[in-house]
Amino acid sequence: MGSNTLDKAKSPALAALLSSAVLLPAYQSAQADAPPESSEIGFRYGKYQEDAVAGGDTLSGEKSGRYDIDVAQFNLIVPVGDSWSVGLTGQWESMSGASPWFSVYGADGQQKVIMSGASIEDHRAEYGVEARYFHEEGNIGFNYVNSKEDDYHSDSIGADASLNSADGLRTYSLALSTSVDKITPTRGVAPTNTLKADKDIHSIWMGVSQIINDRSIFNLGLGYTQRQGYLTDPYKYRDNRPDNREELVLSGGYRHFFDDQNGALQADYRYFIDSWDVESHTLELAWVQNLNNDIQVTPFIRGYNQSQANFYSDVVVDTGGYYSDDHRLSSYSTVSYGLRLKKNFGPWRVSATAERYESAEGGWRYSQVPNKALVDFWGYSLGFTYNF
Amino acid sequence: MKYAFKAMGGPCVFRIKARSEHIAYDHAQAAHEEVLRLERRYSRYREDSITSTINASAGKNSVSIDEETYRLLNYADTAFKVSGGLFDLTSGVLRRCWDFRSQTLPNQDEVERTLTRVGWAGVRFSKGEVFLPDIGMEIDFGGVVKEYAVDAALALLKKRKVEGALVDLAGDIGAFSNDPGTPWDIGIKHPRSPEKAVATVQLANSALASSGDYERCIVIGDRRYSHILNPKTGWPTNNAPLAVSILAPNCLVAGSSATIAMLMHSSAARAWLSELGIPWLLVDSDLNTYGTLAGI
Repeated sequence: MGSNTLDKAKSPALAALLSSAVLLPAYQSAQADAPPESSEIGFRYGKYQEDAVAGGDTLSGEKSGRYDIDVAQFNLIVPVGDSWSVGLTGQWESMSGASPWFSVYGADGQQKVIMSGASIEDHRAEYGVEARYFHEEGNIGFNYVNSKEDDYHSDSIGADASLNSADGLRTYSLALSTSVDKITPTRGVAPTNTLKADKDIHSIWMGVSQIINDRSIFNLGLGYTQRQGYLTDPYKYRDNRPDNREELVLSGGYRHFFDDQNGALQADYRYFIDSWDVESHTLELAWVQNLNNDIQVTPFIRGYNQSQANFYSDVVVDTGGYYSDDHRLSSYSTVSYGLRLKKNFGPWRVSATAERYESAEGGWRYSQVPNKALVDFWGYSLGFTYNF
Repeated sequence: MKYAFKAMGGPCVFRIKARSEHIAYDHAQAAHEEVLRLERRYSRYREDSITSTINASAGKNSVSIDEETYRLLNYADTAFKVSGGLFDLTSGVLRRCWDFRSQTLPNQDEVERTLTRVGWAGVRFSKGEVFLPDIGMEIDFGGVVKEYAVDAALALLKKRKVEGALVDLAGDIGAFSNDPGTPWDIGIKHPRSPEKAVATVQLANSALASSGDYERCIVIGDRRYSHILNPKTGWPTNNAPLAVSILAPNCLVAGSSATIAMLMHSSAARAWLSELGIPWLLVDSDLNTYGTLAGI
């Protein structure tokens, strides 16, 4: 949401010309950073299928299926008057399958995973509303999002602003958000780590994007997030995490258009570090190829590498201190690759993606810790938007 | 209601939909006055224009400017940057060595001498003033003012709450309609036979600007030399398009984008226009037409 007709990502040159032009007195009655000219409605369906855990990696010796997630998304954005837009979003997720409960060492001396009882069923529904005001030099948005699961409830509010420089070549942005979450575990037969708990999340994001010339643009961003309260996984056996987590993210992106190929290279890097000693690097490279008949094909590849949290252990420990064997807090690396497709048919736009995600223990910068619970998955999505 | 007059170096037409002919005529007169105001202020042919004052002070002193002039310079600066230096308000002095009436080419020494006085990068301007660094340097708002005047006249008509209007200043056109169901049909001139339309577009709330070498050029043998001169070489770009038309949210952006494309090799111009992502039409030197507006 919060996109506007300038479609900055598409052409930095056009965005710069339009935002510099609208500062002229003749356009002052019109809005400089204008709400979308038409309404847009969009639907998207996505499916994520996690690979099963191999029989050799579970304590039972049996192959265990993992999560399948179905996601349906809806969004609507409508201009209101000369300087406002209002947006609505909805998202429904349905998860089913099993997830790793804890891990131990088996008779063969290798780490083995014990899965949660088969067939967890969970549903999540999320609704959001956004209002955005467009003025001469930028826009300001306010949003509220409510998310509900059987065992989790979250309310969040956010505000963001963007400001264009006089020459239209630079955009500054700032976003703030805060959420209040309630956890009431209900799932499964095993005892949970809590019956009722709270968590608050506060975050701030600052970014700048700079058009270098008509073929290239780069952006830099800095974000800080603080999570406070119950951060332990209520379902994972003996999981016990600190009640404060501070995260810092530094990101940079570059996009360059090549005339001869009629395509653009996109490179994005993200550095993450937090107070649990988790450090990670993400690098994504994508090639956006424009083809005839308004078709855009984008192959992409993404590499990810992270260190483990300072209380991670590959097997249950009972020291009474902080402990987690959550694979997401271990040291691991992932490679994902896929294809994005886009095609316009008059007021319709169809987009589709297919992605393969594979993870491995340790990797590039960090030591290898046994972790049989790391996940591989296939993801697909198909979406439609209609302008009216 | 149709209202015709001459300004900005060519024939101009307003078509205005209002409750009565009489009211439409009043609106047309006000919009006409707005066009004349901009012509008076920015024409390089008028001694009392801000353009003449700035040029007369080149290399000597800075000239104070108002908000509108500052924003025009600022826009030209953005166009200079995004075009990699092709769009240059100081390139007008090159006309001194190109005589399109005599149909003779300038000699290279003369072009190089004139080129030393071309260079937007050296122009210093701020919110209150502008300074051209060298005596003999000139700026020419010709590349932006006609297009800006289309938008300004249209903005004035919108403010006066007419039902719909079409503003055509010597071929640069802007239109709006309160009823998006009744757009204005516009024909784009064929570069070799201007009486023939190469494409037709519908303008509802947008602008169409065209740039072409059919207006003025030098022909030597089978080679045409366009009047659109590259500020880097002082010559027309080799294999540049014959004509480019662009549809954009406003005429200023449409016009400067068309000018930039006219300064590129045809194939580079096509890539640049498709990356720009707005409707365009390009006719190359072999009279092939390309672009999202071709064949409409």
